[in-house]
Amino acid sequence: MLFSSFSFGLFLPITLLLYWAVGFKRIKIQNAILLLASYFFYGLWDWRFLFLIVASSLVDYFAALAINSTEEKGRQKLFLYSSIVWNLGVLFLFKYYNFFIDEFAILFNMQQGEYAFSTLNLILPVGLSFYTFQTMSYTIDVYKNRITPTRNLLNFLCFVSFFPQLVAGPIEKASDLLPQFNKKRAFVTEEVKEGLRQILWGLFKKMVIADNAARIVNTVYASPEDYGSLSLLYASVLFFFQIYGDFSGYSDIAIGTAKLFGFKLSKNFNIPYLAKSVTDFWQRWHITLTRWFNDYVYFPLIQKNLRSSTRRNAAIFLTMGLIGLWHGADWTFIIFGAFQGVLIILERTPLTKNRKSTLFHKSPIPRFLLPIFTFLIITASSILFRSQNIGEAGIVFKRIFSFIPSETLGSLINIKFLIFVFIMMASEIITRSKDFPLTQIDRYINRPTRWIIYYIFIFLIFRYAGPKEDFIYFQF
Amino acid sequence: MPGLKKTLSIFSFSETQLRFIKYCLVFFTPVVIAYFILEMLVLNIPINYKVFGNYLNAHSQEIEIMGLGSSQMKCGFNPAFSDGIAINLSSTSQHHNEDFHILKGTKDRLPKLKYVLMEVSYNHLELPHHSSDYWKNTIYLNYYGVNAFERTTWYKDRLVYLSNAPFYSYKLMEYYVYGSSTVKLNEYGFDTNNYNGDFKKLNYDESKIATHKFKIITREDLDIFKKNTAYLFEMLDYAKAENLKVVVCALPLYKTYLKERNPNIVRRRDSVLRVIKNKYNNVILLNEEADTLNFTVNDFLNENHLNPDGAKKFTALVNSKLDSLN
Repeated sequence: MLFSSFSFGLFLPITLLLYWAVGFKRIKIQNAILLLASYFFYGLWDWRFLFLIVASSLVDYFAALAINSTEEKGRQKLFLYSSIVWNLGVLFLFKYYNFFIDEFAILFNMQQGEYAFSTLNLILPVGLSFYTFQTMSYTIDVYKNRITPTRNLLNFLCFVSFFPQLVAGPIEKASDLLPQFNKKRAFVTEEVKEGLRQILWGLFKKMVIADNAARIVNTVYASPEDYGSLSLLYASVLFFFQIYGDFSGYSDIAIGTAKLFGFKLSKNFNIPYLAKSVTDFWQRWHITLTRWFNDYVYFPLIQKNLRSSTRRNAAIFLTMGLIGLWHGADWTFIIFGAFQGVLIILERTPLTKNRKSTLFHKSPIPRFLLPIFTFLIITASSILFRSQNIGEAGIVFKRIFSFIPSETLGSLINIKFLIFVFIMMASEIITRSKDFPLTQIDRYINRPTRWIIYYIFIFLIFRYAGPKEDFIYFQF
Repeated sequence: MPGLKKTLSIFSFSETQLRFIKYCLVFFTPVVIAYFILEMLVLNIPINYKVFGNYLNAHSQEIEIMGLGSSQMKCGFNPAFSDGIAINLSSTSQHHNEDFHILKGTKDRLPKLKYVLMEVSYNHLELPHHSSDYWKNTIYLNYYGVNAFERTTWYKDRLVYLSNAPFYSYKLMEYYVYGSSTVKLNEYGFDTNNYNGDFKKLNYDESKIATHKFKIITREDLDIFKKNTAYLFEMLDYAKAENLKVVVCALPLYKTYLKERNPNIVRRRDSVLRVIKNKYNNVILLNEEADTLNFTVNDFLNENHLNPDGAKKFTALVNSKLDSLN
């Protein structure tokens, strides 16, 4: 069930009515309603996925309790590793197994049937990478004594499967989200309105910006060898806005939906196209994923030797490579991540003895041009992200830099769509200190004007929504 | 609990919640009303699908020939010139999976159906099928009574405007505001005024057309080719089982387009046509793709579509092919 679908438009109010009208008396009932709704929401993709999410939840629930029940470090480690092996094992099996088998076969020049392991015909469960990381962090945090494990199984199952953020994040830390299931939620009209406004903004970004951009990007990337340099460049720039509108739109809807139920989720995007460096970009893009990798991969890698720049650079490279791999089992993603790592290392390497003489601190490029420069670098690397394989990415790069005339560019440019992109960017830049442009609009705009603004957005969504596209990050 | 309304049901709302529900109802009511007005207006537009649907219902007991395919077939086969009673259910971007759903979904209603025209054009076999959420499924459901969604349908699947708002918004403006549509549908839903293409703009001047840029897909995709070919065979197996005779058509292309085709795609497609010819005794081929003798510049709407004059010629060729079958 997509957030931008008609069925979600029915599912959400029904769940809300039940949640606030039936479940208001007891948190337990509210949580039970949330859990059922979440499993229903998830099961609609494929009911068989439910077994996996329940199994993952139970493994981590009991692993955390087991860690907490013993003082013995060895046993604690055993339970932690059991949880990690389970989580990464599931992730590997469903997401990476076929990729590694195929690459192994290619490496040793083997034909199908010549090697003992064959590829599996498995569907990647929606949102697997998201909830696996969320549950894994819970067990690690319990092991590190950052949080105490919950004994309430219902709350824990809710924490893993909370439908607004289940399939594509934000990836929440247990210390942030889990306690919210223990607290009584109050119906605060202003919060609910705020949630609805954020959903509206998210739908605009997803359906008007991302889906329309997708139409052009998909056309061009379906046969890049038929397009000239400028067309490919244009499609690649639009891909940035497609994926931004898609994922940040999704995150807005997720955060907004959570607000309707009285929950607060973490901010996942902070106007990434204003980033002044690649490092800055990753602090603004999919913030919760970067935070996860910082907390559970990068910092543990460097903590033993904070001063060693070699170790730090290796940690950056590895972390970014893993972030790339997290996105999908393909060399395009791995190279994409590794390339980001190299760029970050370059930005952080001092040019003189002064530690602050890095490109990150002192760039030779004028400050006002930095966002454009960063945007171009990110756009270039996102060609890898969008391409089906390295060969296709190679074709796109080669054709862009061959300066091949683009006779069909005119047919790709849609002025109305570009105006919508401009509206999105202008709104976000003007209100950049706020969570999203429509936030707290009732404080400075009267009701009739506000309603007109909402109706305009609803009209734009109905009228200019592009062809329905799946959320890109669902596949991760 | 303060501020709580007493009620006997399990539903209990606080005053604040009730106020908010009312607020939402007041806000969303105009949206719902506006939408249904749009829906009514869209349903009132005389689009070709509606004519197809009406014709299908009115002549279901008589129809002998069914045309299926994409825009090339839509522009190329005019049932008005067909010797038998025919219907052309082709439409722009319609692929084999939609064709198959339409065929299976209407077959039982057409007791006299004997012939099916199927399109296998230049890159038909290397273009991916649409998903089961394709927007035209709403059209097939509403106008042809065919469920192409591959699942149980529900109310939303019938909402026409919502299925493709940009397309229908354009149609609404064209019909109600500008009155600018040049479409003239005959009783079969074929646009007899479909001349306003690139070639007319270029005055059918061959030297100008020779330098005219057009879009052609040259990308090869072996995976899609394999999948689509298997699917095509499945359709032909079905037709055979249902005692239907099939004319597999490749419609005429203008010479500039012919030159730009990817030879590998053409070779693969032609090899499939050869296999079909040898494998199925209920299938005949009508490959007019490179027929530059019968079809001249004046028969084309653009590089890869016929205009109504070209459609008249192509329909005549279909007639003679069907004659040869009898």
